Amino acid sequence: MEIRVKCGCGEEGCSEWTIVELQGVVDSQSSFQGSVQNLEIGRLCHSDSSQESYTFTVGYHELTGSKVTLKKPLLVLKKLQKCTDGSSEKETELQVVGIIRSTILFKTRPKPLFSGTN
Amino acid sequence: MEESGSSGGAEAVINLGLGSSVPISYHPCFGPHEDLLLLEADDNLVSDIFNGRVTLRGLPDEDAVLCTKSKTYAIKFVGNSNSMFLIPPSNSPGFIQDDAHGKVSVIKLAPGNMELVEVSPKLDKLKQLLLESPFGPGEVDAMMMDDDGSEKNRVLYTWSDLVNIIQASDEELLKGLESLSAIEIDGYWRVIDESYLDMILRMLLNNCVLNSWSFDDLDKEEVVSSLVADEFPTKLAGHCLRVFGSEVKGTNKWKLEPRLVCLHFARQVLREEKMRVERFMEEWKKKIPEGMEEKFEMLEGEVLTERIGIETRVYTFSVRSLPSTPAERFAVLFKHRPKWEWKDLEPYLRDLQVPRLSMEGLLLKYTRRAQSRPDAEPIFSAR
Repeated sequence: MEIRVKCGCGEEGCSEWTIVELQGVVDSQSSFQGSVQNLEIGRLCHSDSSQESYTFTVGYHELTGSKVTLKKPLLVLKKLQKCTDGSSEKETELQVVGIIRSTILFKTRPKPLFSGTN
Repeated sequence: MEESGSSGGAEAVINLGLGSSVPISYHPCFGPHEDLLLLEADDNLVSDIFNGRVTLRGLPDEDAVLCTKSKTYAIKFVGNSNSMFLIPPSNSPGFIQDDAHGKVSVIKLAPGNMELVEVSPKLDKLKQLLLESPFGPGEVDAMMMDDDGSEKNRVLYTWSDLVNIIQASDEELLKGLESLSAIEIDGYWRVIDESYLDMILRMLLNNCVLNSWSFDDLDKEEVVSSLVADEFPTKLAGHCLRVFGSEVKGTNKWKLEPRLVCLHFARQVLREEKMRVERFMEEWKKKIPEGMEEKFEMLEGEVLTERIGIETRVYTFSVRSLPSTPAERFAVLFKHRPKWEWKDLEPYLRDLQVPRLSMEGLLLKYTRRAQSRPDAEPIFSAR
C-alpha cells in the first residue's frame, strides 16, 4: 500500500498553527455537568517583563512560561478516507493542513491566586 | 501593534504583543479528532513533503514507513504527558467558527506526536519475490511463438506492485533491483534464471572469440546483434552485457569485468560442493576464457575456505544470500561460523549501510572482539 502525503498549499502558504503546552491536566470544576465546547480555559498574557515571558491564568492558578521555537517543526496532518473514482474502495490519504513552528510552554508549578492578592 | 481582539486563532497567540492578553477557549468542535496527527519533521523533510515527494509504504499488517525519494524512515509515536492544546489559525477550513472575532480556540488535546527515525530499506522480501519466478528459456520460447502460455500461475511484479509491497524509497528499491541484476521485461521486474544467464554469457564470450573482439573494447550494438542472431532476445543480450560488464567512461564502448565473469564460473564449478582448493583452482581455470585471468581474491565475499585436517576446502557462501539488516546478518554469520578473523569477515559486512552507525559502531554493537596478544589478529564472535 502506498499513501501519498499531500499538501494543498505550498510551504509559504501553509497555515501556521500553534500549541499551548502545560504540565498537568486542566479539568472543569467537579460541579460542572455539561460539555466543555466553547468554555473559556484561561487567559494568556504576554507579560511585559524583560524576558520573553508569558502567563496563563486558569481558574485560580497562574502559570509562567515562554515561547519556544521548535528545532524541528511539527506538521499537522489530517488523515482522509477518499473514495477512488469509480471503485467502492476507500483510499487513505494524508494531507498537510498546517505547520507548527513555535509553542508556548509552561513548565512551572502553578501559582495560586487569591482574591485580594496578585 | 495588533489588537488582540481583531483576529483570533493561532495568529493571535503567535503575534501576541507585549502587554497584551487573550482568552483561550475550547473550540465549539473541540474533540478527540483522531484524524489529526502531528509529525515532527526537520527542514529537509518539510521541503520534501511540500514538494509532494513523500509517501507512506507498507502492507496493512506491517508498521508503515515514510519514504522520501531516497530515504526510508520508521515512524514512532512519542506520547507526551503534558497537556498540549492544539490551536488552529482562525480561518482553518473545517473548523470555521461563526463568531470567530478575536477567539483563540483549542481544537484538540494532542496526546503526542510522531517522530521519524531513518532506517535501512527492507529489501530482503524483494529477493524472495523475484526468485519466485526467474525468467528462463521456457518463457523465451513462449515469447517467440506468441504463446499465451498455459503456465500462467506465475506471480509477476510490476514497479507499482513492488512499491506497494516493499518498504523502501524509490532510489533504494531501484538500487536493490540493480544489486539483484533484475531487469524489467514487459513491465514486470524479473531476475534471470542462473543457467539461462550462463548460456547467454558463454555465447557472448564465444562470439567475442569468433569475431576477435577485445574484452575491453566491445561495441554494444555488435555484441547484441550477434546474440540476437543466436536467437537470444535483444533485451536479455543487453542485460547480459550490463550484468557482466560496464561502460567505459567517456567512450561508447563496453568492457567485461573479469571479476564478475570469473566469479560466475567459480560458482558453477563449486555448485553445492565443498571442494579441495587445488581441485577447485584446476576446474576453475578450465572455464576461464582465454585472455582473462582468475585470481582467488576475486571471490571475496562469495566463497569461504575451511581447513579439514591437512586439506583446505572451499565452498560457496555469498554475501548476496545474507539478510540485509545488521542484526539478522550477524546472526547468520555467527551461526555459520562462531569465530571470524577480520579479513574473512570484512567482505561480508562491506555492503551493510546503517544510518548513523559506522563499521566500528556496528562491530561494537553486534560482536565481541578477542585478541590473544596485542599483536595477534583479533577474532570476532557473537555478542
